[in-house]
Amino acid sequence: MSGSIEVRGLSRTFHTTVRRPGFLGAVRSLVNPERVAKHAVTDISFEVQPGELLALLGPNGAGKSTTIKMLTGILTPTAGEARVVGTVPYEERERNARNIGAVFGQRTQLWWDLPVRESFAILRDIYDVPADEHASRLREFDDLLDLSSFWDTRVRHLSLGQRVRSDLAAALLHDPPVVFLDEPTIGMDVVVKEQVREFLRYQVEERGRTVLLTTHDMTEVERLAERVVLINHGRLVLDGTLDEIRRKFGSTWQVRATLADGHAPVEPWPGVVLVRRDGPQVVFGPDGPAAPTVHQALKQVIERYEVTDIALDEAELEDVMRAAYVQAGDMAADMAGDVAGDVAAQAPARTQGG
Amino acid sequence: MAMPSALRAWRAARVTPLGELHTPPRMTAALLRLTVQVVLVASLWRGLYAATGTTAGLDREQAVTYAVLAVLATRVRELDQYSGRDTVLQHMHFGTIVYWYLRPLPPQRYYALRALGEQIYGFAWAIVGYAVCVAAGVVQPPKSAAVAGVFMVSLLLGQWVLYYIMLAIDQLCFFTLRNGAAMLILIFAQNLLSGVYAPLWFFPDWFITLSSFLPFQATLSVPLSLHVGRIQLSDAGTQLAIQAAWVVVLALLTRLVWRRAALRVISQGG
Repeated sequence: MSGSIEVRGLSRTFHTTVRRPGFLGAVRSLVNPERVAKHAVTDISFEVQPGELLALLGPNGAGKSTTIKMLTGILTPTAGEARVVGTVPYEERERNARNIGAVFGQRTQLWWDLPVRESFAILRDIYDVPADEHASRLREFDDLLDLSSFWDTRVRHLSLGQRVRSDLAAALLHDPPVVFLDEPTIGMDVVVKEQVREFLRYQVEERGRTVLLTTHDMTEVERLAERVVLINHGRLVLDGTLDEIRRKFGSTWQVRATLADGHAPVEPWPGVVLVRRDGPQVVFGPDGPAAPTVHQALKQVIERYEVTDIALDEAELEDVMRAAYVQAGDMAADMAGDVAGDVAAQAPARTQGG
Repeated sequence: MAMPSALRAWRAARVTPLGELHTPPRMTAALLRLTVQVVLVASLWRGLYAATGTTAGLDREQAVTYAVLAVLATRVRELDQYSGRDTVLQHMHFGTIVYWYLRPLPPQRYYALRALGEQIYGFAWAIVGYAVCVAAGVVQPPKSAAVAGVFMVSLLLGQWVLYYIMLAIDQLCFFTLRNGAAMLILIFAQNLLSGVYAPLWFFPDWFITLSSFLPFQATLSVPLSLHVGRIQLSDAGTQLAIQAAWVVVLALLTRLVWRRAALRVISQGG
């Protein structure tokens, strides 16, 4: 399997009409509409290697879905380039369609009035999947997602969890090397979520599929993704591992230790500060951008001191992401401001250069 | 060996008929409605002709045959896509139209295959209804094999024209996100101008002239008039040519709109 995603300087701008308030405003908008440009995605670049699961994160309206739509070929970028398994998706949509599977949150691609298995059969024909391959893939998906307990039920009668599981199977029936999942587990209960996570993990680790996942569920990110791309206000603000994100935005861990010698001297070391001491009870915390991860700090404490008990309080990823979204929003705004400043600075030069 | 994709994809035509077959109450309702409509329409036209011989060039048997065939013909394209959440309007509303553009089967081909399946399935209903009505003496069969043949060709062309008219209305959704009003106007115009409510021969001359410039009468009025003998075989060639011309004009128009619709989807992202 050779799935990979390459994104270079991808941008997308939408032009919308501003509706002015009030009756007169509405008339003015009709006669003299005011068009404004909304930059949904600006100059995003990243790569996803074959067999990698990348979480594309960001608050609502950050540009995640727009990015996925460009990568699936249903939206053309204003600038930049994207390749999915070597194909430019918005130029060769049908070829790209054979290489990708997609699930868009609560939008189902199954036929509402038909039993799930009939939908699968129609997709088998549309994607031209040989019958024996189709049957063996269905068996595999059934083992992982327990589809056979409801696949003779019409889609309109499925629960949300059953429907999303069916949609996941539908997206993978033609064995695509790349899968796009836009908030696939939204609204599902924890049991089904875990089943879906197991399924995705299997598809990545055992089947080598490349998965691009957007989600607001941080447990999902924690359990599935090693690498995340964080975007906000349409700009990429971080591309790295979860540890890097924690280090950058989530410096709220604490290591609580009970020293064997209650009078032993305790000194902070680079990246770690002594938060408080009460006899043998000591609490360490992170200090500055060079702070180690909580697990590194735990190891360092054990190496430096003889301890009889040790515990850690780690910031939940959700807290980290909350901090990340806020700070990333400021960063994205700064980046946009810098670009605007550059453009403003260049404008007179261009005029002069004329 | 795998079947060629073009051959396999035709099975997308199963979508709407399968939905109906999986919903027996919907089929029962359709059967009941069709039966009641046929009985009422036949009674109405028989009543209207109680005190007259020939009106608007149609005698009683011709008028009843025309009216009942019009009811049966509506079944050909009147499957319930709405309940199956499978109208273009619903796909635009729910955002599921993106999946039409995420498959290796072009949306226009999928739409055409689905419509073909609906028409074949609807035609099976109509043919059974026709056989029952002929056996019951409600409908008179064509006067000759030649008339029957011309009628079949004309009916086929008429359904083709109707397909393009329905497609054009659905395509409106890509630009307006709403086609309810257009659909209501279409249904009324289609029923009135194609002769479902009453044969066009009963309308004033100016109305018949006006409707001759529109595609609607090519859908139903022409084939049914050929069937009952109101249009003679000698005029059939011209009528078939007009129907074929409408097929070509509407095919070109809707092809153009499909391209614009695709641009619309890929500029807005579905």
